Amino acid sequence: MTIADDIDVTAVAPKTPVRGMTLKGVLYGTLSTLMVVFCIVPFLLVIVISFGRKVDGAGWVWAFTFDNYQRFFVGILWPDEVTFLYLQQLGYSFYFAIIASVLAVLTALPFTLLLTRLKRSKQAIWLVFILASLSMSEVFIVMGWDILLSNNSGLPKLFQVSGLTQWLKDVGWFQTLRDIGLANPRNVKFKPSEFATILTMSYLVWPYAVILLYPALSRLDPSLSEAARTMGASRWTVTRTVTLPSIRLPLMGTTLLLFVFLLGSYVSVSVFATPDKQTTAVAIYSNIRGSNLDAPFGSAQAVILLISASICLYFGHLLNSKAEAR
Amino acid sequence: MRIGGHIFMALSALVLAMPIVVVCAAALNGGRSMFFPPRDPTLARFGEFFVSEPVWTNALSNSIIVAFGAATLAILIAWPVAYLLWSTGSKLSKALAGLGSLPFAVPPIVIGVGLGFFWSFTGGLGHIWSGVISHAILLMALPLVTISIGLQSIDRAHLDAAATMGATERIAFRTVVLPQTVPYTISGFFFVLVLSFNEFIVIFFVSASAYSTVTLQIFNSLRNGYTPTMAVAAITFLTVSILVFSAVARWGDLPRLMGADQSKK
Repeated sequence: MTIADDIDVTAVAPKTPVRGMTLKGVLYGTLSTLMVVFCIVPFLLVIVISFGRKVDGAGWVWAFTFDNYQRFFVGILWPDEVTFLYLQQLGYSFYFAIIASVLAVLTALPFTLLLTRLKRSKQAIWLVFILASLSMSEVFIVMGWDILLSNNSGLPKLFQVSGLTQWLKDVGWFQTLRDIGLANPRNVKFKPSEFATILTMSYLVWPYAVILLYPALSRLDPSLSEAARTMGASRWTVTRTVTLPSIRLPLMGTTLLLFVFLLGSYVSVSVFATPDKQTTAVAIYSNIRGSNLDAPFGSAQAVILLISASICLYFGHLLNSKAEAR
Repeated sequence: MRIGGHIFMALSALVLAMPIVVVCAAALNGGRSMFFPPRDPTLARFGEFFVSEPVWTNALSNSIIVAFGAATLAILIAWPVAYLLWSTGSKLSKALAGLGSLPFAVPPIVIGVGLGFFWSFTGGLGHIWSGVISHAILLMALPLVTISIGLQSIDRAHLDAAATMGATERIAFRTVVLPQTVPYTISGFFFVLVLSFNEFIVIFFVSASAYSTVTLQIFNSLRNGYTPTMAVAAITFLTVSILVFSAVARWGDLPRLMGADQSKK
């Protein structure tokens, strides 16, 4: 800044463009440095440390070894012994994230469509509500569902008091619930389970789905579907042949973004998933901050998560730019 | 269909509100455990959270410091980037904007781990100022977007008019650009504020348990069991969010910020 100020004093009026250039130059320089230091260096550190080596009882040292990656894909004792534990964790990361994001988009789509047909002032009120729930911390949401799904208060209690449990037993569906792990001998039991994990994750991104779909849906031209309707197409036909094709790309883009966001979700999985279905995000945590103290291996897992996310983001970007080009 | 649509929207709102309502109601419990519906309702927990229990008052003041600091810092970084992007559209400015959005686009746990390493090498780990910077880095993508939307809404004819009447770039900036983008800047500030309040995973890695914010404190308590005081935190945060977003909706154009079509009113 001081350089720019000095020039300002000496410069005469016609030279102002030159001064503007210098100011911009300083600005560019400062901002570039900031961005490189804070937005690139952290990622580089994760990548570099992922090649490091853990020292027993003494943290880790810089190194260049592929052991951490080998351990991730085939286990540390390969080729004598092969374990796919970590790949399986990545698989669960994908599994939970895919189902939860698809579920969120499928339910958010009709909602957002209805939202965009409301008056502008009403839309604003809904948006405040959606944004407020979007910004609620993951810890609050997990807490809320934890209470709702807990056995002593919440839904299982409601099931029992209202006689729904008895009814389920009478019609024989209770056994089905027991088979998929959602009931104990006496009553329904919702956690820990895949159901609770996916429900919470889906809930977590649902407001994001609305916010992401909102621009595309609010730009839909209602006259198109109206025209189809006047020509005698049924409501379902219109949805299938006019509305859905025109929002196919934003729909897929949104699902991808939510999926990437959920890949790293930690609190819901650590609270609701059973120990055999923990994800890579939980493993990263326990390696870096938790009991394992194996920062290089945690970093390697983070790198793999990052690569998976980048590939998905790239495709999402491709879809979005395709959508905008049309 | 109309009625069906209303029912669907109401149902969505119900499910969306359910866990939040449950948490908020749990704050009224008289005892030490969380029950729903609350037993022996009392407002004593509010006193504990805001006044008497140092664990929570410290966490709250840390949260406030981090959120306001991060929001201010994020605006200060995002403004010049958005302005350069808008006024020059150069490749470098595009690259800067892209880099600025990167931390928000990747899974938060990865940037959390990265910033954790970064601060442990630069000596910031466990200091509250590094928490402020980390949140500013993570969330600057938001003001970047809102300010860009604000700048795009400026009619270039106004700038040309100003230039014709002899205004320098600096004067035009002060009299035309700045006033028209103030609402968008404030919206960006508030978005960062609210999300920083509620952010968990990044602050978890960079705080290194040296201090705790409200969300960290709640996560720690998740393991030891719930106390109704935690629910007061939830109420507080929810109230702040609703107030902030209502203010944005009242004084700014929320549907436009969210990307609604301008031609339809």
